[in-house]
Amino acid sequence: MQYKLTRIDPNTPEQTRYPLGRERGVEDPMDKHVHRNVFTGKLADIMNSAVNWGRKNSIWPYNFGLSCCYVEMTTAFTAPHDIARFGSEVLRASPRQADLMVISGTCFIKMAPIIQQLYDQMLEPKWVISMGSCSNSGGMYDIYSVVQGVDKFLPVDVYIPGCPPRPEAFLQGLQLLQDSIQQERRPLSWVVGDQGVYQAEMPSQRERHRDDRIAVKELRTPDQV
Amino acid sequence: MTTDTALSNTSRAAGEHDPVVDELRSRFGAEAFTLQPTLTGMPVVWVAREQLLEVLQFLRSLARPYVMLYDLHGIDERLRVHREEQPPADFTVFYQLMSFDRNSDLMLKVALHEADLRLPTITGIFPNANWYEREVFDMFGIDFAGHPHLTRVLMPPTWNGHPLRKDYPARATEFDPYTLTMEGQDKEQEALRFDPESWGMQRHSEETDFMFLNLGPNHPSAHGVFRVVLQLDGEEVVDCVPDIGYHHRGAEKMAERQSWHSYIPYTDRIDYTGGVMNNFPYVMAVEKLAGITVTPRAQMIRVMMAEMFRINSHLLFLGTYLQDLGAMTPVFYTFSDRQKAYNVIEAVTGFRMHPAWFRIGGVAHDLPQGWDRLVREFIDWMNPRLDEYERAMMDNSLVRERTVDVAAFSTQNAFDWGVTGPNLRATGYQYDLRKARPYSGYEQFDFDVPVGTNGDAFDRGMMRLEEMRQSVRIIKQCLENMPGGDYKADHPLTTPPPREKMLKHIETLITHFLQVSWGPVLKPNESFQMIEATKGLNSYYLTSDGNTMSYRTRIRTPSYPHLQHIPSVMNGGFVPDLIAHLGSIDFVMADVDR
Ligand code: SF4
Repeated sequence: MQYKLTRIDPNTPEQTRYPLGRERGVEDPMDKHVHRNVFTGKLADIMNSAVNWGRKNSIWPYNFGLSCCYVEMTTAFTAPHDIARFGSEVLRASPRQADLMVISGTCFIKMAPIIQQLYDQMLEPKWVISMGSCSNSGGMYDIYSVVQGVDKFLPVDVYIPGCPPRPEAFLQGLQLLQDSIQQERRPLSWVVGDQGVYQAEMPSQRERHRDDRIAVKELRTPDQV
Repeated sequence: MTTDTALSNTSRAAGEHDPVVDELRSRFGAEAFTLQPTLTGMPVVWVAREQLLEVLQFLRSLARPYVMLYDLHGIDERLRVHREEQPPADFTVFYQLMSFDRNSDLMLKVALHEADLRLPTITGIFPNANWYEREVFDMFGIDFAGHPHLTRVLMPPTWNGHPLRKDYPARATEFDPYTLTMEGQDKEQEALRFDPESWGMQRHSEETDFMFLNLGPNHPSAHGVFRVVLQLDGEEVVDCVPDIGYHHRGAEKMAERQSWHSYIPYTDRIDYTGGVMNNFPYVMAVEKLAGITVTPRAQMIRVMMAEMFRINSHLLFLGTYLQDLGAMTPVFYTFSDRQKAYNVIEAVTGFRMHPAWFRIGGVAHDLPQGWDRLVREFIDWMNPRLDEYERAMMDNSLVRERTVDVAAFSTQNAFDWGVTGPNLRATGYQYDLRKARPYSGYEQFDFDVPVGTNGDAFDRGMMRLEEMRQSVRIIKQCLENMPGGDYKADHPLTTPPPREKMLKHIETLITHFLQVSWGPVLKPNESFQMIEATKGLNSYYLTSDGNTMSYRTRIRTPSYPHLQHIPSVMNGGFVPDLIAHLGSIDFVMADVDR
């Protein structure tokens, strides 16, 4: 599997644009361990899987919303959709206690520096879900006061399309993030091994589902409930 | 006589025959004013800049006074072609006043020239002019002499230019792509730092050093991206400064480039918990410009869906209001009810939050077969739930302790600050537009208008609970009396034209093609429609210059004045009371910043 490696340089100059950190495509770092020493390779593999399993099932989201999409995001936290099934019901009011920032809504130019500040206050490991067309690309607001996609300055892990996406779509996005976390390779400690963050290149959902979607010929008419 | 001329004649008559025009003329002389004929349904009177303050004073002190400054904004007239019967102007600033005794409005307009964009502030007469004048300054660069704090209100302090000017680009893609550097981040954050001195605040008093607490722009009880800076003496709020503009999406500028039809989805996102309720004033204002009369069936379908969204929005309010007071559970109950409401809304409109389902001349499609069963199920579900909420939540002694006599204000205070809707009614003043100026057939319905007594945070909560009961009643009457007939008006400007007709006549096919590709063309004029929205009075003031797009769209939203009103209620209160108050206002930031 292809991986994306991100490294942060502590001496980044002030003029650098967000998102910080250099990225490049690499092979799975685990592969070479496996060939070098079967036993430690296996051990590291098990450790990684165990840690990732724990992480992905307890993603604590930051209580942060921008606009309409946030209403559908909170809907996912309530009884009919019940996000607790996926271990993410623990909304945190402080970025320092949160693992996940969901950019649910329009990213305004006036808000962008504040979003960046809040993101910086979150501790690693941290992830970002971009929820809704506005935060994916500006959506229907190609207008002077709106950033055309939050990925202009934040690194985004999962994009959820929709305006607004249904709560179910948000839950699916969360599960996709969980899948990706399961494949991650992060330093197991700040003294052990390579300090880069390796994230797997996950398959595109659009490509995965394209054939099924094209195969649908009959759509329900809106004339009946 | 065609319908169009009939309409413009009646509008001229409505404007000229309003008694206030005679009152103004007898006081200031007939030459002092130019009367502009419009379809707004109120007199539109041009006054000279020099006389503005005097005229406003006079209107405010009449026997039946104009007590509320309902709206204040500007128009860039420089590219407008059709300005017949209007004095020459590069920019116009308009003041819309409301009289509750007369149950009517009046619009004053002042003409300004590019070289001299100055006006006297009217904050001395109407305190709520403060933010409106700041916004006009922000959007058009018009100066208000004597304003207590004339700074930008929607755009960041570091911004260049005035976005609603016609020569300012609308699209983000016309500018360089957005980038943020570490340096830029520090600069922007520094610009947001609160400076008490610039607001005329002291850092110390004789006895104490004040603390300045920054609440927001991201705070769990701020209901979105809203910031309020508190000057605190211990736990007491000495003064506070609400700061908005973090949610400005340029909705008014957007209207100047979307066709009349394709703007409908943008209206949904103004009060984003209100769904089709937002389409309502917009399509009605467009229909006035187009001269369309909507069929009784379409009218009732609109009322039914708008009331569904009122319930939906009030349920969200109730859940979050109680959550802000510390009650965790109610939000789970109310969101389960919202899901029930969505079952109906989704079946009828095919969408949840933003259906954009109303059309110019009707609604998008007819009600689906079986809609009545779903609506009946919803009604049967809702009534017992509302009783339960009243018992379990509003009768709860903790809720009462936190809200009774907290953040109370009087009717007069509400008028001064432009407070409308349930928050006005909570003060004991019965004014519901659905009764006072019925639209879309509301006069046929039997429902009550709940009013409060104290105007406190508790009454504001009760108001919503009671209003949901009334909305259920209205929906029930829609269910029982839904008229037959078409769901779209038979008019050439109905957009898109009825599909059945389009498939049969070549003329309709051509209109369909033109309306979908270019959009309908509306005659030059101005129109206005106000409704009782979920959060208060919401209106669209449309100016057509004979084009496929609006020349200027002004959206007056209720939440904007409600936030400006906060300091007048909270100064002298405590921090937890502020949280209770914020929960009880019922605002969403898109309804403030647009
Ligand atoms: S994507 Fe749509 S629903 Fe979401 S914030 Fe943007 S406009 Fe609102």
